[in-house]
Amino acid sequence: MDVIVCVKQIPDPETKLRVAASGKSYDPDGVKFTIVNTYDEATVEEALRMKEEFGFGAVRTVTVGPARSEEALRHTLAMGADEAVLVETPPNAVLDPLLVARILSAVIKDMPHDLVMVGKHAQDDEAGQVGSALGEYLGLPSYAFVTGLTPDSGAHVLKMARYVEGGEEAFGGPFPAVVSLLKGVKDPRTPTLPNILKARKKPLKKIPLPEALAKVGALPGAGNPTSETLAFTLPPPRAGAKMIEGQTPEEQVEKLLKSLKEEAKVL
Amino acid sequence: MDFSITADQKELQTAARRFAKETMAPRAAEADKKGIFPEEVYREAWKMGLMNLNVPAEFGGSGLGMIEQVLITEELAHACGGMTTSILANCLALQPINLAGTPEQKAKFLAPFCADYNLASFALTEPGGGSDVASMKTTARKEGDHYILDGEKAFITNAPHASLFTVFATVDRSLRHKGITAFIVPRDTPGLTTGKEEDKMGQRASATSTVNFEGVKIPVANRLGQEGEGFRVAMTTLDSTRTPIGALAVGIAQAALDHAAAYSLQRTAFGKPIAEHQAIALKLANMAQLVDAARLLTMRSAWLFDEGKSVTLESSIAKCFASDMAMEVTNEAIQIFGGNGYMREYPVEKLLRDAKLTQIYEGANEIQRLVIARELLKRYS
Repeated sequence: MDVIVCVKQIPDPETKLRVAASGKSYDPDGVKFTIVNTYDEATVEEALRMKEEFGFGAVRTVTVGPARSEEALRHTLAMGADEAVLVETPPNAVLDPLLVARILSAVIKDMPHDLVMVGKHAQDDEAGQVGSALGEYLGLPSYAFVTGLTPDSGAHVLKMARYVEGGEEAFGGPFPAVVSLLKGVKDPRTPTLPNILKARKKPLKKIPLPEALAKVGALPGAGNPTSETLAFTLPPPRAGAKMIEGQTPEEQVEKLLKSLKEEAKVL
Repeated sequence: MDFSITADQKELQTAARRFAKETMAPRAAEADKKGIFPEEVYREAWKMGLMNLNVPAEFGGSGLGMIEQVLITEELAHACGGMTTSILANCLALQPINLAGTPEQKAKFLAPFCADYNLASFALTEPGGGSDVASMKTTARKEGDHYILDGEKAFITNAPHASLFTVFATVDRSLRHKGITAFIVPRDTPGLTTGKEEDKMGQRASATSTVNFEGVKIPVANRLGQEGEGFRVAMTTLDSTRTPIGALAVGIAQAALDHAAAYSLQRTAFGKPIAEHQAIALKLANMAQLVDAARLLTMRSAWLFDEGKSVTLESSIAKCFASDMAMEVTNEAIQIFGGNGYMREYPVEKLLRDAKLTQIYEGANEIQRLVIARELLKRYS
């Protein structure tokens, strides 16, 4: 049983973003990138856990991104993935989530895949579309918001769990399939130094974007962007807090009520 | 000349930075305040392969070069100098076995440290003398195929938790340094006891105590090298661990600079951030120069070591300069924080207390200066 995990490198949550000159994305200059999106890292761990517990074939990781994304793939190799594939985009290319899913599906079709796994969403654009779209483009069932899975190779089904209002739901379904994961059974492992060095020698295949796009050509609607970014803006700066002065709590409450009625107009 | 690091080295540095930030830093303040030895942190460090960096890969160690050790050490020390000392102590304690051990001794004693979490201690210093190694009082008396060890060692890092000690004792005090001999002593050997944990000024996440030897009987097979070779083993060990101490000091100082710069941009006085006052900006500029210079000296020493060159002079310069620099930079960081800097609630006073030890241990800076002067004067005579 071979597993493919799709990962994405995202800006470090602590990095300060600036709007690019185009006004349609952030300026990648000076942005620190995390190793890999947290949900994707949890998904790699879940795939490796299943490989260790159920003796799967191989775990392969795939990303679509600029050259720096190789760091993210090396990290997954240091965690224990066997091979990685980078679809290399130009440095500042902004790809529509559905186009990313098309590219991934075209690449994945050429690889053994009993299970395709993704994190539930990337923490930068929070689009959360790739998982479901992959299911569609690959013609596979897709399961979302999964919190842990167990394959039953004999019966050819996956047993899964996911959070629902007030509890956890156990459900199952056939595979090959696409699973988008909320969290895995275990916390992601930290690669050891010897494994980090070994990861440098594991196979990492690079596919230039035009070559991947040529494969996409065979898919319906290929090349037609499904969405367009009109503007990228930072949240408005927060207004300062207003201190309610007063000698007694009663006086302060009175002033607060007045302020809520007359200034904020919420009462 | 190329100042860049390789992709492998960058990756190791990133991994160490991540470990320092996620596992060490959150526990640093409490461990310092209460003097806790955070064993769970050390176990995690061991799991990641951060602990036995200098043990060759054939025995299960990380088998890294000095440049890698220096890069990793600086990252760890940025989070906590005390924890870093305890993490590095295995490198110091096991280096005599790396250098002077027979293949049998290496297989027997190095492998357990890589197969499982274990701590080792380097027992050289005595209560009566740290720098004056040749006046050592701990004795080793040969009886048949055994040695009997008697004496006391002081300020031994990780001693309360160590399962193995590399011990230096003299077979004949009148021979001075020519009588010193190195031994491998497992903790469970009868007659070996450790004293109470010292209540230290800084580096309080690291445990330190005396080690007592009362008729400790160990087989001749546990002797490292020949009788009288111990002094050379100790000195070559310190030649290889002095450079990472420079890096440890650089890590502490970089943390001080980072805190001070961030604070100076937030704190306002006279209507603007204090960073915009020249008095503070010039301080920050001086601190940055010192940190940079010390880092470069440390990296040069590491590079020479990896080239197989002698680093007695360069590692002494790096260790001495970096530790003095760390005192100055942490002191200035407190000054920039003002009254807040003197409070334990803020992170910078710990950095000064942690930095102080780097001037004292692994060869006091006075000894480093004597070494530097001796090496220097050779060139003029």
